Amino acid sequence: MATSRRMVICALILFACACEANEGRDVTKGGPPAGVAQSNVTPDTIPAGVMPGIHERVILGDVKNPYTNSPAAAREGRQLFLMYNCVGCHGGRAGGGMGPSLRDSAWSYGSTDADLFATIVEGRPAGMPTWGGKIPEDQIWKLIAYVRTLRTPQEPDPPPPSIQPNR
Amino acid sequence: MIERKGRRASMLVAGAFGALLFAVACSKDSSAPAVAVGRTLPAGSTTSTFPGADKPGEWNQPGRDWANTRFSPLDGITTANVANLKVAWTFSTGVLNGHEGQPLVVGSTMYVTTPWPNITYALDLADAHAPAKWAFAPPTAAASKGEACCDVVNRGAVYSNGKIIWNLLDGHTVAVDAVTGKQLWMTTLADINKGETMTMAPFAVKNKVFVGVSGAEMGIRGWIAALDISDGHVVWKAYSTGPDKDVLIGPNFKPYYAFMRGKDLGVTTWPSDQWKIGGASVWGWVTYDPETNLLFYGTGNPGAWNPDLRPGDNLWSMAIFARDPDTGEAKWAYQMTPHDMWDYDGINENIVADIPIDGQTRKVLLHAERNGFAYVIDRTNGQVINAQPFVFTNWATGIDLNTGRPNRVPEKETRQGVTIRNICPSSTGGKDQQPTAFSSRTGLWYIPATNDCMDYEGTAVSYIAGTPYLGADVRMYAGPGGNRGEFIAWDPGHGRKVWGIKENFPVWSGVLVTAGDVAFYGTMDGWFKAVDARTGTPLWSFKTGSGIIGNPIAYTGPDGKEYVAILTGVGGWMGAIVSANLSPDDPTAALGATGASPDLKKYVAPGGMLFVFGL
Repeated sequence: MATSRRMVICALILFACACEANEGRDVTKGGPPAGVAQSNVTPDTIPAGVMPGIHERVILGDVKNPYTNSPAAAREGRQLFLMYNCVGCHGGRAGGGMGPSLRDSAWSYGSTDADLFATIVEGRPAGMPTWGGKIPEDQIWKLIAYVRTLRTPQEPDPPPPSIQPNR
Repeated sequence: MIERKGRRASMLVAGAFGALLFAVACSKDSSAPAVAVGRTLPAGSTTSTFPGADKPGEWNQPGRDWANTRFSPLDGITTANVANLKVAWTFSTGVLNGHEGQPLVVGSTMYVTTPWPNITYALDLADAHAPAKWAFAPPTAAASKGEACCDVVNRGAVYSNGKIIWNLLDGHTVAVDAVTGKQLWMTTLADINKGETMTMAPFAVKNKVFVGVSGAEMGIRGWIAALDISDGHVVWKAYSTGPDKDVLIGPNFKPYYAFMRGKDLGVTTWPSDQWKIGGASVWGWVTYDPETNLLFYGTGNPGAWNPDLRPGDNLWSMAIFARDPDTGEAKWAYQMTPHDMWDYDGINENIVADIPIDGQTRKVLLHAERNGFAYVIDRTNGQVINAQPFVFTNWATGIDLNTGRPNRVPEKETRQGVTIRNICPSSTGGKDQQPTAFSSRTGLWYIPATNDCMDYEGTAVSYIAGTPYLGADVRMYAGPGGNRGEFIAWDPGHGRKVWGIKENFPVWSGVLVTAGDVAFYGTMDGWFKAVDARTGTPLWSFKTGSGIIGNPIAYTGPDGKEYVAILTGVGGWMGAIVSANLSPDDPTAALGATGASPDLKKYVAPGGMLFVFGL
């Protein structure tokens, strides 16, 4: 009981932070929203390890990605996608591998911003690691911004063509 | 296991017959493959029984004998009648991922082990319904699916000492009573939180079962362990990297080539502590030679595909080890691809055979390697006798028999930040884990091969435990000629191809060859095929429900007739595009394999079905 009350409070705080960050912000100018931590990916910030599976749940309601339609955030998200080894499971251009493709329209755990955020933070039963507490929230939103550009003209670093040079 | 009664007398006859056969073989045309001589040769027969072979009508262990010949002495199905083969019965496993491995037959029971969740079924062959006498569904953690690089496959169980023993994806080895299915022991060996899983088929000999860990794509530290077969406790464990005391290298270790002699090479051939996340997993096949009392297996790729992160030879990755099975002590090793730059894992099977070469019978290992070379190695000391490319290979011009090292082509060496194009073979190799077979009747070694090339670029990567530690962007495609696969018959004594059957897709199934002189294999688009084992003439085929990446077996049914069984259900690394529904517009998905088979979805969907064929 106490735990879930604490989690609702956490969720509300997160929600409030996100809302506060949205006020008066012009996403096209790039840079982090006010009140949200500056992204800073260096070898020192790489988490020591992640466990697959679900751990603490996070309830977010209807929160929207503050980086919706931000090409700069998507580009940074692409770099984060490499840095956190997402490519290793989800494929070089997120076409899948050990983990599912993120390029298609099939979403095992829901496709809203809140769903994707929760999937990354909580982990999932078939092996998605629990990144909550390891990847800063701002970076998670940028990762999601990148995922939204897959298969669109805005996709940074799109896949090379599938070739058959020897045929 | 082979009968012991009358063995001494039959060995004398065998020895005499063997000498006669040897003389006959040597007097033949020298361009024909010389017939190998097994250690036990029933008088009047050209069929040799390899040590540790199961009863003729049974299949108790992955390779049917300790040598992993995958040769069946049954000759009810022959080149003359195989065209009449038809489906006898089928069994759905209830699982849809890639079905690697093979069923077992013990008496009148067939054992089938599935991909995750790694259920084992015991099917009653004496009943036309083939009902399950029991089914053991272990509590294999779902989270382990997220740590398996190359589909949630399982390569099969082993029957020994009244037990059925297999590995679970989440890092356990389990033993159940073969008759009742009751669990006898379960040993925890691997930690999925570190990226370790287990997919290989255990090997049993001398009251021990040998198992190894998967996860070289996850920055694990590879190992092989020997478990006591009665209660599953670990008897010894040998790591693939690190100091000699961990690798069980001691005073009796005598590698044939100079580059492998020295102290703690498993540390010094890496920068700083990189060996601790150095990969070199043990996820392939294990074989055994009782004459030399040596256990053989190979190690996988070094950790991080980006070679710039690990200057040095990266011992003992990519290496065949010969160990004392009782103590684990290494007697010799041979690293096939020092400082790997292409993910050419060294885990493929080492078939134990005696082959006449240049007028002498040599005790060898047959190893068709990922790196494209078909190695024939002296199993007493690790010397390479011959090593010729069995597919188009351009990363090296050859293997130097004096130094043991490949002569690398500088233009095909990969590095960080540069895309190197058209490297052949691709990372999936000339052959991956799908096992070859050897017939002492034909003298031929049957290789299910892949003809693929790739572009490969090393990229920056950080080690995060439990996530892939790769650092490479890879895209694969068909090799020269356009066919992505070939079923090859190889003459190991002369190091050359005798014939080959080109296939559209990589040949990702294992091989069965029988005393009826029929060879069986399956294709990724679902065809199960029988060919004349001497000439390669196609004799029969059947389109099954999904692609085939498993290994066929032959057995005698309770009715006394010969049957051939194969698991179908596409997946594995090359088939992940189907089993995991990947996106063909990303050819770099699945570590580049998606680019090699973007059209596979047109031919097959996921499946999971055992097919049994008979006359």
